[in-house]
Amino acid sequence: MKPSRRSILSRLDDTVRWTGIPARVADQMSDDPSVDYKHPPLRWGPIWPIAFSCALFILSLTWPPALDRLSPGAGIALFGGLMASIVGAVLAIHPSGPLGKPSLEDDEREAALRKDSFLFCLGLLACLNCLGQPFLMILSHLQNWQTVRSVSVAGSALILNLTLFGCLPTLYASWNLRQLPKE
Amino acid sequence: MNLHNRISVFRAEHGISRRQLAEAVGVNSQTIGYLERGDYKPSLELALKIARHFGVAVEMLFSFDRFEPIAMTLKRAGEDE
Repeated sequence: MKPSRRSILSRLDDTVRWTGIPARVADQMSDDPSVDYKHPPLRWGPIWPIAFSCALFILSLTWPPALDRLSPGAGIALFGGLMASIVGAVLAIHPSGPLGKPSLEDDEREAALRKDSFLFCLGLLACLNCLGQPFLMILSHLQNWQTVRSVSVAGSALILNLTLFGCLPTLYASWNLRQLPKE
Repeated sequence: MNLHNRISVFRAEHGISRRQLAEAVGVNSQTIGYLERGDYKPSLELALKIARHFGVAVEMLFSFDRFEPIAMTLKRAGEDE
């Protein structure tokens, strides 16, 4: 088959192969992987999306005109926040699979660490939301928020929640582990 | 309660790396490192697997009391002889 007549699906397959991810996964799942795959701590990566989402939330609370008019800067900030939450969600520790039980990816120590990380994250998120929701409701009544402002605050709060849910477990697990000396 | 172990001593005696031991007992090599340093307490299953790999009882590898230094053990063995 000529390259020009190839279907979209085969082109997509080629694109995926080009990323190198299928080869890496096949190597990782083989009986004799070429390298010793480790799960390195990500101590700084998750901080950036969290900081960005916090800044966006504070901006929506303290400087609403920027978001009300949806200027290009505010649009970029919103888009960036959304991207940050997505990046956060694909970081090392994710909620897939049973918590606390070893799987193909995690051994028993990593599974226990993942469970601890999610318990910490969910506990902190529950506390923040329990305190934050009444605070926001009172603030909205005191300042007579219009619909647009309420929506922008709620949207930035959602982005902050998603980012924290995606990034906090990785951050907790990464800082919880001390670096191992090389053998 | 602290759980002491001497996995690194047995590993050195058998001349195997962390990665080799990890593959033998089915965990990540980092887990062996954290075990040796005492940062992680293994499950009963993992402790038994490691003991079986070295062909010793689990009490030889793990203890709630600090293990006697090897120099002391050798000295005592020399005195006994």
